[in-house]
Amino acid sequence: MEPSITTTRSRRLRRTSLGFVVLACFLSVTALAKQTEAEKAAKEQAAQEKLLQVFVSEPYLELSTGPGRGYPVFHVVEREASVDVLFRRTDWFKVRTEQGVEGYARARDMRRTKLADGSPFVFNLGDMAGFTTHDWELGIGGGDYGGASLINAYGAYSLTDNMKIELTLSQFLGNFSNGYKAEAGITHVMFPEWRISPFLELGTGIVYVEPRATIILPEDRTDQTAYVGAGFRMYLTRRFFLRADYRWHTVFTSRDDNQELEEWKVLIACFF
Amino acid sequence: MESPNRLLLLTTALCATLLLSGCSLLRWPWFGKNKNVEQQQTEDQAAAEEEAEDADSTPPRVIEPNVARRKIKTPKIDNENWEIGGGAGFVSIEDFGTSSTYAGQISYHVTEDFFFRADIGQSTAGKTSFETLGGDIELLTGNQRRFTYYSLSLGYNFLPGEVFLGRKLAMNSGFYTLVGIGSVKFAGDNRLTVNLGAGFRVLPTDWLAIHIGVQDRVFNSDLLGEDKVTNNMEMLLSATVFF
Repeated sequence: MEPSITTTRSRRLRRTSLGFVVLACFLSVTALAKQTEAEKAAKEQAAQEKLLQVFVSEPYLELSTGPGRGYPVFHVVEREASVDVLFRRTDWFKVRTEQGVEGYARARDMRRTKLADGSPFVFNLGDMAGFTTHDWELGIGGGDYGGASLINAYGAYSLTDNMKIELTLSQFLGNFSNGYKAEAGITHVMFPEWRISPFLELGTGIVYVEPRATIILPEDRTDQTAYVGAGFRMYLTRRFFLRADYRWHTVFTSRDDNQELEEWKVLIACFF
Repeated sequence: MESPNRLLLLTTALCATLLLSGCSLLRWPWFGKNKNVEQQQTEDQAAAEEEAEDADSTPPRVIEPNVARRKIKTPKIDNENWEIGGGAGFVSIEDFGTSSTYAGQISYHVTEDFFFRADIGQSTAGKTSFETLGGDIELLTGNQRRFTYYSLSLGYNFLPGEVFLGRKLAMNSGFYTLVGIGSVKFAGDNRLTVNLGAGFRVLPTDWLAIHIGVQDRVFNSDLLGEDKVTNNMEMLLSATVFF
């Protein structure tokens, strides 16, 4: 192992000087900083007994100054020593050693540590297995809604690997009218373990339409809408996947007949 | 001189021994009563256990495990991938001058490289040069001058690093770029926008970040007669908190 050329930073020194800088440089956020610092201290104290302790089982565990591959390694924890896990940010864990040194450990390295009872430290990692089984999804994208441009954001919760409850918020901007819609539905992913998997969807929601200022049309209206759709999702890398779908909408208007609209969109989404 | 002292010492020691042992030998009515009951109870329990053991221990056990298996509960790890905050700055609305703006932002960090970000902001447009020079002419009403926008972006941290303040302080920092789509409500109409931007983030602590960012919100506008692409530069100083 190459000796680290960077200086080991004392935690206490760093914390106090950081506090000073926050106070001195960013006066606008001082009140906020103070309050949250106090809250954090209290929270830390409360969580003191609840921190997870893991033991290094590889020859050493490297600690970096920041949660990124570019940040220098400034400390090494030896085999058999333990660290307390403070929090996780993306694929990095902030840990505290027995001596009180705090630093970021890579998730891949943390995977090789052990719990107090000798069992491996297991947590979800952003990979294909995570793409198959996860709790939450979040995505943004755009498309077309009955000829109008569509901006779209969605969130989904997995009931099972196949079945998801979904909430979609969209805004559409057309030549004749603009509007917003909010929809809730159920999505059935046919083969969640495949890299590219088709899915079917069914849902309902409300749509609010406002005519463009320049064109005279009936006044703003809010209607109920329902959709049936199909699409596919493709795992890209890490925690990302691409999602494209087609939805066939029926808008239950207050007029004599219902309005039928087509929607297609492409989204970039992540799971966690 | 020596012997009387020794005698005195020996007598005291003897008395003390007799007295102390005597106390315990005597069965005081208030002393040791509970002890007897407890003793009897444990004896009864032991007898009962022995009987029970005799009853079901048909195959004799070689080792009697008497350590109960402990159930280890793994504490939940705090995930700090969300970042929320707000700030103020300037937005230059094409043809309508530069105005101050207030904005809020929320981000979700997916990996160390990529994050999703939603921005929302509001400003009030100034006057066009035509209005300024033309005297009483007003192209837009007060309400129409309100410039409200939002955007959904994908961010990429492309230059992570550290900044140094003096000899003893290092703070994590990073440059990032943003690409996204959104909408702007201006002059009584909604328009689709494409936003491109870049920002610089400094983290004085693990949970606090200070951002300086520039974003260009591009949209089509036909407000001044011809249909054209407008570039609206926004500069923002904001503070965010990780949670």
